[in-house]
Amino acid sequence: MGGQAGSTVEITITSQHAENATELLFSHSSLTATPKLDGMGMPIPDTYLVAINADCPLGIHEARLMTRLGISSSRAFNVGAVPETTRQTPNTSLDTAMPLEMGTICNAAMTKQSVDYYAIQLKKGQRIVVDCAAHGIDSKLKPVLILANAQGADLLVERRGGSLDFIASESATYVIKVHDLTFNGGGEFFYRLALREFAPGELASRLPTIKTVSSFSWPAPGAIDQNTTAEIEPNNQHNQAHKVSLPCHITGSFFPAADVDTFEFTATEGEVWWVEVASERLGLLTDPAIVVQQVDAEGNLIDVVELNDIPSPVKVSSNGYSYDGPPYNAGSLDILGKVEIKTDGIYRLQVRDLFGGTRNDPRNIYQLIIRKAQPDFALVSWAIHMQLRNGDRNCLSKPLALRCGSTMAFEVVTVRRDGFDGEIELTMENLPVGVTASGLKIPAGESRGMMLLTADEGAPRGFSNASFVGRATIDGQLVTRPCRLASMQWPVSDQWSEIPSPRLLADVPVSVCESEFAPITIASALDKVWEVTAGEKLTVPLIHTRRNEFSGPTINLMGWSDGMENLPTMETSLTADTSEAVFDLAQTQKPGLYTVAFYGSAVTKYRYDPAAVEAAQAAVESAHERAQDLARKAAILADEAKKVPVDQQEAAKQAAQAAALQQTVAEQEVASAQKNLQDATAKSQPTDIVDIIVSTPIKIRVNPTDKAE
Amino acid sequence: MNTLLLLYHSYQRLCRPRQLLTASAVLLGILAHGAGASETEVSFVNDIVPVLTKAGCNAGVCHAKAGGGQNGFQLSLLGFEPAEDYESLVKQAHGRRLFPALPHHSLILRKASGQVPHGGGIRLEQNSAEYAMLQRWIEQGAAFQTGTEPKLVAVDVHPPRGLIAMKGQQQLTVTAEYSDGSLRDVTSLSLYESNAEALAEASPDGLVTTHDLPGTFAVMVRFQGKVSVFSAAVPLGAPVPNLPPPANFIDQHLFANLQQIGVPPSPLADDATFIRRVTLDIAGRLPTDSETIGFFGSSHSDRRVQLIERLLKSPSYADYFASKWVPLLKNRRDEASDITANFAFHAWVRDNLLANSPFDQIVRELLAATGTVVGNPPAAWYKRVKDPKEQLEDISQLFLGVRMQCAQCHHHPFERWSQDDYYSFAAFFSQIGRKPTGVRGEDLIFHQRGIATAQNIKTGESLRPAALGDEVGDITADEDPRLRLADWMSSKNNPYFSKALVNRYWKHFFKRGLIEPEDDIRETNPPTNPELLAALEAHFLASGFDLKELIRLITNSKAYQLSALPNEHNLADRQNYSRFYPRRLPAEVLLDAIDDLTGTTTAFANLPAGTRAIALPDNSYNKSSNFLQFFGRPNSQSVCECERVQSSSLAQSLHLINSDEIKAKLADANGRAANLAALDSSLEERVTKLYLVAFSRKPQSHELQTAVDYLRDTLLDVEGKPIDGKQALQENFQDLIWALMNSKEFLFNH
Repeated sequence: MGGQAGSTVEITITSQHAENATELLFSHSSLTATPKLDGMGMPIPDTYLVAINADCPLGIHEARLMTRLGISSSRAFNVGAVPETTRQTPNTSLDTAMPLEMGTICNAAMTKQSVDYYAIQLKKGQRIVVDCAAHGIDSKLKPVLILANAQGADLLVERRGGSLDFIASESATYVIKVHDLTFNGGGEFFYRLALREFAPGELASRLPTIKTVSSFSWPAPGAIDQNTTAEIEPNNQHNQAHKVSLPCHITGSFFPAADVDTFEFTATEGEVWWVEVASERLGLLTDPAIVVQQVDAEGNLIDVVELNDIPSPVKVSSNGYSYDGPPYNAGSLDILGKVEIKTDGIYRLQVRDLFGGTRNDPRNIYQLIIRKAQPDFALVSWAIHMQLRNGDRNCLSKPLALRCGSTMAFEVVTVRRDGFDGEIELTMENLPVGVTASGLKIPAGESRGMMLLTADEGAPRGFSNASFVGRATIDGQLVTRPCRLASMQWPVSDQWSEIPSPRLLADVPVSVCESEFAPITIASALDKVWEVTAGEKLTVPLIHTRRNEFSGPTINLMGWSDGMENLPTMETSLTADTSEAVFDLAQTQKPGLYTVAFYGSAVTKYRYDPAAVEAAQAAVESAHERAQDLARKAAILADEAKKVPVDQQEAAKQAAQAAALQQTVAEQEVASAQKNLQDATAKSQPTDIVDIIVSTPIKIRVNPTDKAE
Repeated sequence: MNTLLLLYHSYQRLCRPRQLLTASAVLLGILAHGAGASETEVSFVNDIVPVLTKAGCNAGVCHAKAGGGQNGFQLSLLGFEPAEDYESLVKQAHGRRLFPALPHHSLILRKASGQVPHGGGIRLEQNSAEYAMLQRWIEQGAAFQTGTEPKLVAVDVHPPRGLIAMKGQQQLTVTAEYSDGSLRDVTSLSLYESNAEALAEASPDGLVTTHDLPGTFAVMVRFQGKVSVFSAAVPLGAPVPNLPPPANFIDQHLFANLQQIGVPPSPLADDATFIRRVTLDIAGRLPTDSETIGFFGSSHSDRRVQLIERLLKSPSYADYFASKWVPLLKNRRDEASDITANFAFHAWVRDNLLANSPFDQIVRELLAATGTVVGNPPAAWYKRVKDPKEQLEDISQLFLGVRMQCAQCHHHPFERWSQDDYYSFAAFFSQIGRKPTGVRGEDLIFHQRGIATAQNIKTGESLRPAALGDEVGDITADEDPRLRLADWMSSKNNPYFSKALVNRYWKHFFKRGLIEPEDDIRETNPPTNPELLAALEAHFLASGFDLKELIRLITNSKAYQLSALPNEHNLADRQNYSRFYPRRLPAEVLLDAIDDLTGTTTAFANLPAGTRAIALPDNSYNKSSNFLQFFGRPNSQSVCECERVQSSSLAQSLHLINSDEIKAKLADANGRAANLAALDSSLEERVTKLYLVAFSRKPQSHELQTAVDYLRDTLLDVEGKPIDGKQALQENFQDLIWALMNSKEFLFNH
């Protein structure tokens, strides 16, 4: 959803597990929300008034609820420059078509198995562009846009997520129809429909959209050169090659269909040029491919290198029976590779879109950079996913909402640029009180690290926007890069039937809740750095602070570390209060300070909001007392009404009736409170859930062998 | 005598031009060469293989049977692989099939002539020329090649076309042309097959005999993998007076054919018949009563033209023709998760039809699709059709009308397609790359850089792309060969692409293709009206592959607008379009028509209320609808339109007569029966409205009287007491609608 900068909009929230939410928070300070009040001055549940400052940056911001359980997952909130409306009444027929003004945006949600109708007035020759934001604002809607005549007969249809571009052939009423590709609907299928006018030939911009996970690696800091060169068509053939000098930064488009852009440059033996293309990472459905060929003395072309996708640095989960990797892809269909020049001469580089054979869309643009090595890195992170049950295929949105005594693990992945292979330290700062972060660095030459966030058992309820960065030394300089956070747009219970849709978040919100605790905390018995010598054994005593019941007596624990080898795997008791972790270090273990954490999964008895049962019980008792009190009063008044003089009987009778009415209302309130109690009790019944258990990080210093001697 | 002499010749070298050949000239030539026959060296390829073929030895049911032939003796189908046949005959089974010392004792001769038991019976008489030929070949040393024999280049049948009276005869003469320019009369060695046995038969010696039915037919002539065809008409000879003035070239060609064969056409259909027919054929629905009344009330002389234009602009046109194409493109729901891809693909087809995208562009987008299904819906075809061989076979059959399946394993018996042709075509699809996506079962489709080739599984040769024998030039590693194939398909000189489409659409409107089956275009299956087909092709090409223009052309023709009622001469006509051939409404159209007639709608899962059956995106709805199953809605398994069952069945009749589904529609509280019963107008007016909906015409006076009388009937309850008048009227209306629904006039487009 969204609103116009400088306005106040009303937002209604639907959510799961977010009863009694206290705040609606945004990723930008120009957006503030206050609960909407009813006529009695009481907050209307789940309804907020969002004030958008006039200077609020246009585009997408994150909106989240602060709930009993901490910060919620995020929803995109759009800030635009044009007036916005919200559909108030159903418009699922031609007769009920909602009028839509030019230059406005309408917010609405789709009804299942229905089509939404909008009526617009156009003048002959007027060019309009109808755009619909849906997936790009966290909606599940796959929008179909249809422009029809006043009778509803279709004239123009767009089903690929594009916009309708239409020039009216006559001055008349036209109809815009919107529906989901498979006619799905409901509260999760919301959309923003924009009606804009453009001059003939003018390139129509699209509505803003959230970022794909792959886009975290674009652009590299300092990569965007202000002195870009636009490709010069025709350059499809080798003899039409656009001559460039290296280094260069070229902008171009995969247009028209089957477009090939050819660039020619000279290079010298021994040179290494890094080539990067951004197109898919710009949010486009493109798949750039490059081939570099040398032109020999006879004019023959000799293949030098083919450059294709940026592979995911870690294996992505397949669509198999269960998880076999994270359901996030940090790779891209874009290009990041190098060209090694073996001999002096003329070279030609051709770039094409492997998806562009039949597509004609000038908006399918790209940026091509050919540069000398500028070693660097980009980071992205997501909450750890693991196979918790046999055949587990659910993908959850996992906000950084910590329970007291818990440790959450985040997988951190890097895309390395231009040959950088050094280690990357991971840190998080500006955390809520009682929360500590332990980064398991990404070792040199590797792609994966971990971030462990731990909330103390006594951490107070809190929230902060954290800073999450990676640091590395490159060419003797300390380089700091942000780590972007990724999350699922929606929780998916089975990725075979619903496609998981991950995206980047704009910020790194961290919260702690007091309402729930970790089912078990496994921590080192002593809060210290453990010392051990390479080649020797170390036994670390562990303490289990158990707060829930578990199914099964043991948990299998494995280890994460930032470089310590031979980590033990342990079958640890879930009923005992202590255990031990025995580290048997190899002679070759590199000395240094390491962080280790153990993780596993266990089936625990989960009770949803048991405190609500107590509150509901208290409410029942209170209502009951009040009802009893009123019943007594009503009985007294009724009795008195019989005894008073005749001239007072009418007044007494009315008083007795009023008391009886109050008694009835109170009894209804009792019934209502009892219903709430039943609901709360039902929800709080112990349920088996599988939980990821992560130990509190343990610090171990490995000393060199000679020191021990 | 003639046959005997022919068989003693290996070649007949005629110096005269081929077009001067006549039956008598051939006979003279044979006689002249017959004297020296014993001196001629027998060629295994050019002489022995044709003998084996003519005798049926290498038929598919005999020694060319897949998996070992018969009793260990394997020959290639119809002798398409002479080298393998030679190996099998001469060298296999320890050489026991030939006995060079005593050639007439060779097993091949003794078996074929029945001297020893032979499962296939006697194939060669001992005194036959064929027997002598085989024996002489063995006597000469049974060589595979003589070293001098030329290769067969072509086969011509003479005459190529003819006009044969009913119960008449025509002797065909077949001439083989060799690489050295020599010609040979192979009439007796050729195989003949009529495509219309009811009209004409061909004897093994090439004598064509017609029966007592008028029409056109063709005789396929085969000789050693080469084919030729004799096309002929059997005229009725009736006078053809008073032809309607032609609206366009369709009428000119079609009426010329009728004049030639002497079959007078039926008169033009009246307006009522026309509006119903053309609305069903273009928009897949019945005209509404208001549309019909408006059409009747129009005084415009071109009201039929205007009606066609309105229909072509309507979304129903796109829905209906999408329902024709989508099953052929195998938009099949195997998994629940296919729904997104299937809806997207169906919509892509439908939207392109609505926008009237040029047909070559639609095919190009499908053929060379890349990317994801949601981003580029035609890529869904590659989700469904993954095997490159299936891709080439589907594309060739659907868009070129060429069936290539046989050529995967052997030379096409009725065609010129070889395995090289097959695998050269397959090479276009050899560089399709796939990347995994987040969607189970769905890949990202892209061109995998590399030189496109496909390996002939028989020869092992890697073949570059070639389009049914046409060179398409060198294709670089970077170029998607499918784009080159699309270029070739839409090129002006492509002999198949336009032909296949116009023939398919012709069949849609006329029930029978000019070539039948509509997707089996080959030299040996000639069109019934070649001039008309050629003109349609040219027009379609010139229009820029404009599908609406093609439909406009067809439906505006007088030929399309002829009455379905036969005259005294054309009842038997099934192929010359002298009248409109009635056909049962397709399943979806019929269901929609019943909904229109009963004033109800059918609910379909995942689709908005009111969605019509012709707009269903995939086959999944067949499972939940007995109606669609019984009336033959296809399940998207095949590229053949024959998957749509248009025949009648007992289940169909019972469903219409007595199913709960139909009864519920008739008795719907908001349905037409209830509404008609509640109207204040006269019964005559209400019956007229009903007829307009059902038949797009007003009732005739006797129909009206019968209907009104029935509606006035008093109904009795189970106790014999009259039931409420309004209730009785509603039930009577239900009965009347039921009766109209079960009439052929309703069930058929006529």
